[in-house]
Amino acid sequence: MSAPSVDRHGGSFASDMWVTFVRWTIKSVRNPFVLVVSLVQPIIFLVLFTQVFGGVATSALEGISYETYLVPAIVIQVALVAAATSGIGLVNDIENGMFEKTLVSPMNRSAVFLGKTLAEVVRIMAQVVIVLGLGVLLGAEVATGIVGAVGIVGICVLFSVWFTAFSNVLAVVTRDEESTIIGANLLQLPLLFVSSAFLPLPALPGWIQTVATFNPITYGVDAARAVMLGEDTMTVVEVTRFGGMWNTLVPALVVLLVLAVCFGSVAVYAIGRAASADVR
Amino acid sequence: MTDYAIEARDVAVTYADGTEAVRDVDLLVERGEFFGFLGPNGAGKTTMIKTLVTLLRPTAGSVTVNGFDAVAEPRSVRATVGYMAQETSVDPELTARENLRFACDAYGVPRAERGDRIDELLELVELTDVANKVADDFSGGMKKRLDAATALVHRPPLVFLDEPTTGLDPAARNRLWAYFRRINDEGTTVFLTTQYLEEADQLCDRLAVIQNGAVVADGTPETLKRRVGGEVLTVALADGDESDRAVSIAREEGVFADGATIEPNANGLTVTARDARTRGTDLLVALRDAGIDVVGFDVRAPTLDDVFLAVTDEGAGGERASEIESTPTSAVPSGTVGDGGRGSSEAESGGEGETTGNGGDR
Repeated sequence: MSAPSVDRHGGSFASDMWVTFVRWTIKSVRNPFVLVVSLVQPIIFLVLFTQVFGGVATSALEGISYETYLVPAIVIQVALVAAATSGIGLVNDIENGMFEKTLVSPMNRSAVFLGKTLAEVVRIMAQVVIVLGLGVLLGAEVATGIVGAVGIVGICVLFSVWFTAFSNVLAVVTRDEESTIIGANLLQLPLLFVSSAFLPLPALPGWIQTVATFNPITYGVDAARAVMLGEDTMTVVEVTRFGGMWNTLVPALVVLLVLAVCFGSVAVYAIGRAASADVR
Repeated sequence: MTDYAIEARDVAVTYADGTEAVRDVDLLVERGEFFGFLGPNGAGKTTMIKTLVTLLRPTAGSVTVNGFDAVAEPRSVRATVGYMAQETSVDPELTARENLRFACDAYGVPRAERGDRIDELLELVELTDVANKVADDFSGGMKKRLDAATALVHRPPLVFLDEPTTGLDPAARNRLWAYFRRINDEGTTVFLTTQYLEEADQLCDRLAVIQNGAVVADGTPETLKRRVGGEVLTVALADGDESDRAVSIAREEGVFADGATIEPNANGLTVTARDARTRGTDLLVALRDAGIDVVGFDVRAPTLDDVFLAVTDEGAGGERASEIESTPTSAVPSGTVGDGGRGSSEAESGGEGETTGNGGDR
């Protein structure tokens, strides 16, 4: 073999990010089962809820179809399920040694983290687009058109950050695939039900309304729904100064952003600690 | 730049829970050496190797790898070493080729060289035929070989192998040995940890034995075997209960030269002595005269197993362990450190590591 070059430091930040992005994208394309299965549950919800509750629910809604009302909740659910797989990916990496293999390589660690996150964002976007398209086929209407649809995809990505971070924290704390899956799934359904996801909050018991005020899902769903309907849909916080759907979007996006920063920081800290091990 | 691939001085690693996994270890590995790091489970081998590859930061002492300080310039260290972890590390969802491509990109192998490099490595580890199959379908031995290949993509001048053949069948092990020998012949420095003494004997130019986090012996395999103090005579008795009587006869009759160790074993006794071969018959005669029936005997040259048992027994003895640990080089007869090429004076100057150490708290 030729003389080794001693001063090479691997690639640039961008190429380290790209390399990681490619690896994770290959993995998710190679394993379409996960992609499909993570779509199945939200799609079942979409179809069943519109069929089972559609007739009853419409009476609680003012002049819009239940399909239109429900699709924003389902896309948020898709984001939630997809976010949960982020931690599963990390725990798999820890278990099969790739996490350590990355740490011992000269790759920039922040670039690696961002590359994996980017792969997840792309996947979430693809899944949200699929479900949104399906919803439109079933009769849902996006009042704000194509721009609004793109906005909804963006909201789902922003929304997914806190839960992605949460599942990653679960991953490094439990270091166990099953615990990570169970931990993330355990929260998913109750959180959805005690939010504005499936029915208008005024139609629900008082305690659910109270819990919903502190439930991140309410803010994700309300934001997506405001864009879907093109109007102010938020009931947990009354804001009137921005006009129309922005009265929902501004407070919801602020909440989601704050959540993203808080949970994200904890996750970065937790992963950083896992990377450096417990040495004095 | 120094002549050493690895220069570790007074390295200590203490985990957050207070476990002192490594204590005051000095290691000097020359470029091109095949260096073996031996020890029982939990002795600190993996902690030491992880410290050398920058996965762990030393609590005290200094670590220089390929001329780079492991604490101040970890990325330079990472870029210039290959590391094969104890647990096989491959991405099971990627094919062999994709695993190698990822490793190439992670280490910044130029695009133009990537394809040839991957083909060459696939051939080296004999995975060309299954290059496009996902690693999940591979046997344990195939995964290990792929893992070894991914550690070599950037042609590192120094490779760390942490128990690379643990759990492999003999054929797979022999195959890996051949690769390791080959890369060492081509100039790569190899740092190997192992529990298999045969592996160390077959491959290594020089060895260090670690016990309870401290180096208790080091030298060439030959030097270490000589440390055992001669050849090994084992005598099997018809009645194992007579072992103790046989031992006292062997000691009292003064059959063997000074320095011999005579110990009972399960069904007889073991004598380690310089003149075990020449005076063995005298012992057998003495035993027969005493009415003890001998059913078998064997004289052999010492193996690394004998070394290992001898030095780890010493190391296990509480106070003595800490004496040995505080003066690691005194455990090695300095005159006999031959072809390993390490002068004892370098090791003894390790004290300066305390002042130049980069500490664990930065």
